[in-house]
Parts: sequence; structure tokens; C-alpha cells
Amino acid sequence: MTYSVMFSALALYLLSTLFYLLFLISDRKAIESAGHFSLLAGFVVHLALTVFRYIQAGYTPITNTHESLSFLSLSVAGFFLFIKKSYKISILGSVIVPVLSVILISALTFPAEIKPLPIALKSYWLPVHTVFSFVGNAIFLISFFVSILYLLVERGIKKKKFLPISPRFPSLETLDSVNYRCMSYGFPFLTIGIITGSVWAGMAWGSYWNWDPKETWSLITWIVYAILIHNRLAIGWRGRRTALMMIVGFLSIVFTFLGVNFFMGGRHSYL
Amino acid sequence: MPVVVFGLNHNTAPVDVREKLYVPEAAVPDLVKDLKKEDIGEAVILSTCNRTEFYFSCDDFERSFRKFYRLLVEHFGLKAEWLEQYTYVFRNEDTYRHLFLVASGLDSMVVGEPQILGQVKDAYRLATDNSATGFLLDKVFHRTFNVAKRVRTETKIGYNPVSISSMATELAKKIFGELKEKKILVVGVGEMCEIALKNFKKEGVGEIFVTNRTFRNAQALAEDIAGIPRPFDDLPNLLGMVDMILTSTGSEKPIIDTNLVNGVMRKRKHKPLFFIDIAVPRDVEPGVNDLANVYLYDIDDLKNLSQHHLKDRLKESEKAHAIIEEEVARFTTWIQQLDTNPLISRIYEKVEEMRGTELKKALQKLKDVDEETIRSIDILTKGIVNKLIHPHVALIRQNGSPTVLDIMKKVFRIEEENEKNMDNRHKG
Repeated sequence: MTYSVMFSALALYLLSTLFYLLFLISDRKAIESAGHFSLLAGFVVHLALTVFRYIQAGYTPITNTHESLSFLSLSVAGFFLFIKKSYKISILGSVIVPVLSVILISALTFPAEIKPLPIALKSYWLPVHTVFSFVGNAIFLISFFVSILYLLVERGIKKKKFLPISPRFPSLETLDSVNYRCMSYGFPFLTIGIITGSVWAGMAWGSYWNWDPKETWSLITWIVYAILIHNRLAIGWRGRRTALMMIVGFLSIVFTFLGVNFFMGGRHSYL
Repeated sequence: MPVVVFGLNHNTAPVDVREKLYVPEAAVPDLVKDLKKEDIGEAVILSTCNRTEFYFSCDDFERSFRKFYRLLVEHFGLKAEWLEQYTYVFRNEDTYRHLFLVASGLDSMVVGEPQILGQVKDAYRLATDNSATGFLLDKVFHRTFNVAKRVRTETKIGYNPVSISSMATELAKKIFGELKEKKILVVGVGEMCEIALKNFKKEGVGEIFVTNRTFRNAQALAEDIAGIPRPFDDLPNLLGMVDMILTSTGSEKPIIDTNLVNGVMRKRKHKPLFFIDIAVPRDVEPGVNDLANVYLYDIDDLKNLSQHHLKDRLKESEKAHAIIEEEVARFTTWIQQLDTNPLISRIYEKVEEMRGTELKKALQKLKDVDEETIRSIDILTKGIVNKLIHPHVALIRQNGSPTVLDIMKKVFRIEEENEKNMDNRHKG
């Protein structure tokens, strides 16, 4: 049942996508609000469905590709709605909403029926580890697009082009502080995700760290963001460099998520 | 009686020549007096950082202009070759067109910028305060204000008020988000700086430091703009403290180079730094723009940027020019009609004089009236007077026979002698 109802969440996201693409062409408040509220509605339906699935299945529904992608898309929608409350970054909706819609669409292409939970995943660490990891990833996905926009606007200002100066683009300061916000939320989530994963591994596999490809790549990702945070706090890295590092960090996440599954296998291959 | 404009602007003359001919407000009264001695009937002097223009009426163009020219040589050290190279002279119809274009912002460095109309109004007011204008220039300037207003309301030329300085503010906002509490350093004491600063102040910027090679000048400017004067040697320190730098010195070589800024950036923990260099030649080395988190815009960059607006507004600009052509034609015909019969202008003058006295009396009786009411009364009385004299004027235009003229003179109590004077004034 949830599978077919999921299309209503998708429909709302797609509606929001439509409004946000329209918003690119015509800079009108009404269009932005329409995009915002259809996104919010989509998020609420999506969240309700996820909770419903949790109750139906009896476990946190982040155990296979369908569930993880769906949860990622939900987290992106949620965090974007959260962060756009404090900053004028509506224009990012024109990228992020289509992206989260595509993620949900790809989730729907994977088998979605509820199966009994594999023994290996039966643990109270499952919700903590997966939720923290995926919310962290969702936050860094948003910061990835924030960083790209930062580089575009920055380049526009440096090269003295008119377009980035138009009022619809956020200021560099805004984008940089959004990035900083993303970092200060995303990094703890990622850290907790890794630590809980390690603890869980210790309990399930007998060893806290197995140099499983997913573990290794998570660590690489974590180090990238750790360097970034260190440099920001210690020597005042900001702006362009932060944006570039954020992009590198996110590419590392994408590789951890997709590349490792497709090319390396390993013990995380339920996803 | 020709109406002449002589002047130079940002398109025709380089800064150093424009500077020579700059007329500060305080110098206008004396200059006007001198002009009057030289057979120049009425005069308005418009002097901004982009242009200096003398609008005047005279009896005999050739003779008056020679005298006028001599006066310029005396006052400003004007060189003969500049005349050919850098200046323009228009007469009558072309003067009206030029003034309409200027006041509408179509002749500005940034087309459609709104500041110029205020500057034209100030120039006109300064002239009237010094009793330098009369019937003719009053008409010309009043019509100009109407035309500028018409251009503004009927086209979108000034819709997005973009001037170089507001472009700089926009850019700063793109870099810093909010400009509240952002600190500014002003290097040099050029005029454009003051205009740019006004815009920044509106955004609520924090402290403004002023520095200049000659410390006394820095102090003077600092006093004008409520800034803090600092010695020139302090420049590297100041660069570490502020967020934006406005430079406009007359230095031949850049005073801020890449090395200096590079060192400063490390000290300021790479907080963004925005240079606005409005000096020609430039004060800041272009390489500074390549440093991370440093943004440098010079006057040409700002100008080019505003051209983007211009492209969008090309159609609007065509519309504006069409309006101006229409107004020039209408105004020229109107003025020519005045010339064909001096009695008409005499009637207008006489009636206007009467209206002026009555209006003054009335306003004295009415205490505590606000500007708006005064303007309404002014417009009302003008309307009544014009309606009343219109049939008479129309009659003279239709039938200028001596009998009619004679009757009209009696009706309006115009003395024979006055009329002769008028005859002289309006021929030529």
C-alpha cells in the first residue's frame, strides 16, 4: 500500500519541482511560495509514509536500496526546508527539489515490498546508525549544491558578469554561512553515524573496525570534513576554499554510497 | 535671442580637463556677476563631477561668446586648443534638446541615473537665488523639469535606478550580504567617493576611515562625512581592519599592490575584502582581483556592468529620445511664437508678475501652510491666469493687426516704452 501512496509524495515533489523551475524563469514570490508549500506537503506525506512503514515493518525502514534512497530524499527535503527558514536561498530549490525528486524516483525503481529483517541487521543500533548517517549525507548533499552556487556567484563577481549580481542570487556571505551551518550539523551526524556503526560492527562482527571498503571510505570522507572544519576554525578558511572542500567531501560521500556498493562489495552490501 | 549651452562632459573631456572647469557652488555668485558684465542676460551653471555646462542667453551670439570665452580663460586657465578638442556649443533648439537629455539622465555616464535631475534643479535654484535667470531660462528650465518627469513616468529608463555608486552598493551586498557595521576605508578625496559613501551610509555601514597623502585633506573630508582621519602610513593596518575600500587618489601609479593585499589577507583570516577603485589612472593593481576572497572593481568595470542594464533598456532609451524630440519640437515652436510677437511674451511676463505679487500677499496671510499646499495654490493660480489670457494671446496670434495690438496693450496696461525694450530683447 505504501508503495502506491508514495507516488502522491512524489507527485507533490514533482509539483514543487515544476514551481521551482518556473521560479528560475520568473522571479515571483507567489511561485516560490507555491514551490515551498508543495515541497512541505510532499515532505509531510513522505514522512507519514515512512513512519507508517516503520510501524508496519516493525523496524527502521533503512535496510535496502529502496528504503535508503527514499529516506535520503526525505532527509534532503526536511533539511532543505529547515535551512531555508533562516536564509534567503530559494533559488537553490530549483536544483535541490529536482534532485530529491530524482532520488525518490530511483528509490521507486527498486523492490519495495516489506520483507522480514535479516538477522544481521536486527539491532537497536540500526535506527541510530542509519538515521545519523543518512541525515548527515543529506546535509552534505545540500552543502554540495550550496558550494556549487557559491563558486558560480563568486566567479561571476570576479569575472564581473552581471547575472550573479541580480537580486535572486544569494550573497557570498549567505552561501558561506549556509555552508558553515551545513558543516556544523552534518559533521556531528556523520561522526555519530561512523561511531555507532563501529560500535555496532564491534558487537555484530566482533571487531570495531574491519577496513571494509565502506568503512574506509567513510573515514576518508570524515577526514576531508575534519580538515575543512579545522582549517576554518584555525586559519580562517572560508568562501571558495570551503566550497571546493565541501564538493570534494560530497564526492567522497557519493563514492562511499554508490561506488563502494557497485565496485567493491564488502559487508555493507545490503544497500 | 539665442539660448546657448557651452560645456564639456565625461564623453568629450578627460578628468583633468573637467576638473579645471569645475565650478564649486560657492564660486557661482561671483561668476554669475562677471557673466552679467559681459552682456550675458541670463545664466545657469551646471557643474558636477561628470560635466560643467554654462547655459545662457545673449543678444548677439558671436560677440557675447567671445567675451564669455575670455572670461573662461581668466577664471579657469582654459586653453584655446581645449575648445576644439573637448567642448561643445549648442544654440536654441539644440540647447533645449541637450538640456532635456541631460536632465532625463540620457546623457549620463550611466544612462537613466536619477541623480542628475536633482543636480540640474540645484543648479537652477542656485542661479535663481543669485537672480541670474529671467523669463527665457525660467521657461527653458521649467519645461526641462516637466520633460524629465515625463520621460521618467512614460519610460522605464529610470525604473531601475542604477548609478555607478549604487552598482557598487549592490556588489558589496552580493559579497557581504548585510552591510550593517561593515567598515569602510576611503583613500583619496575625490568627489565620486562622497556620492558612493552616501549610498553606503543608507545601508547602515559602520566606521568610515579616511586617509590621504595630505593629511589635512583627509581631515577635511572626514569632517564632511563623519569619518575618522588616519595618516597615510597607516594604510597596511587599515586594510586589515576594514571590509571595503574606496579609492580615488590622483596618483599616477597604483598605491595598493598585490603583495600588500596578499599579506593583509593572511592577517585578516581571509575575511573578504572589496576594493572599489574609482580613480583614473587606477589606484589598485588589477592583480589584486586574483587573490582569494578579494574583489576589485574599477570605474570601467562598474560602467560595463551597468551596460547590461542599458541593453535591456535600449528600447526604453529609444522611447525616451522620441519623447524628447517631440518636446523639443513643441518647445521650439512655442518659443518661436514668443519671438514673432513680443507683445505675447510681454503679456505673459506682466501677468506672471501680477500673479507673483498676489500670490506672495496671499501666502503671507496664510500662516502655517505646508509645501504641498503652496504648490497646489501655485498651480491653481497659474492655471487660472493662463486660462484667462489664452483667448487674448490666441487673438494676437490670429490677427496681429495694429488695432488688436493696441487694444491688448491697453487691456494689459503695457507701456509703449516697455514694449520697445521687449522688442530688443527678443530679436537677435
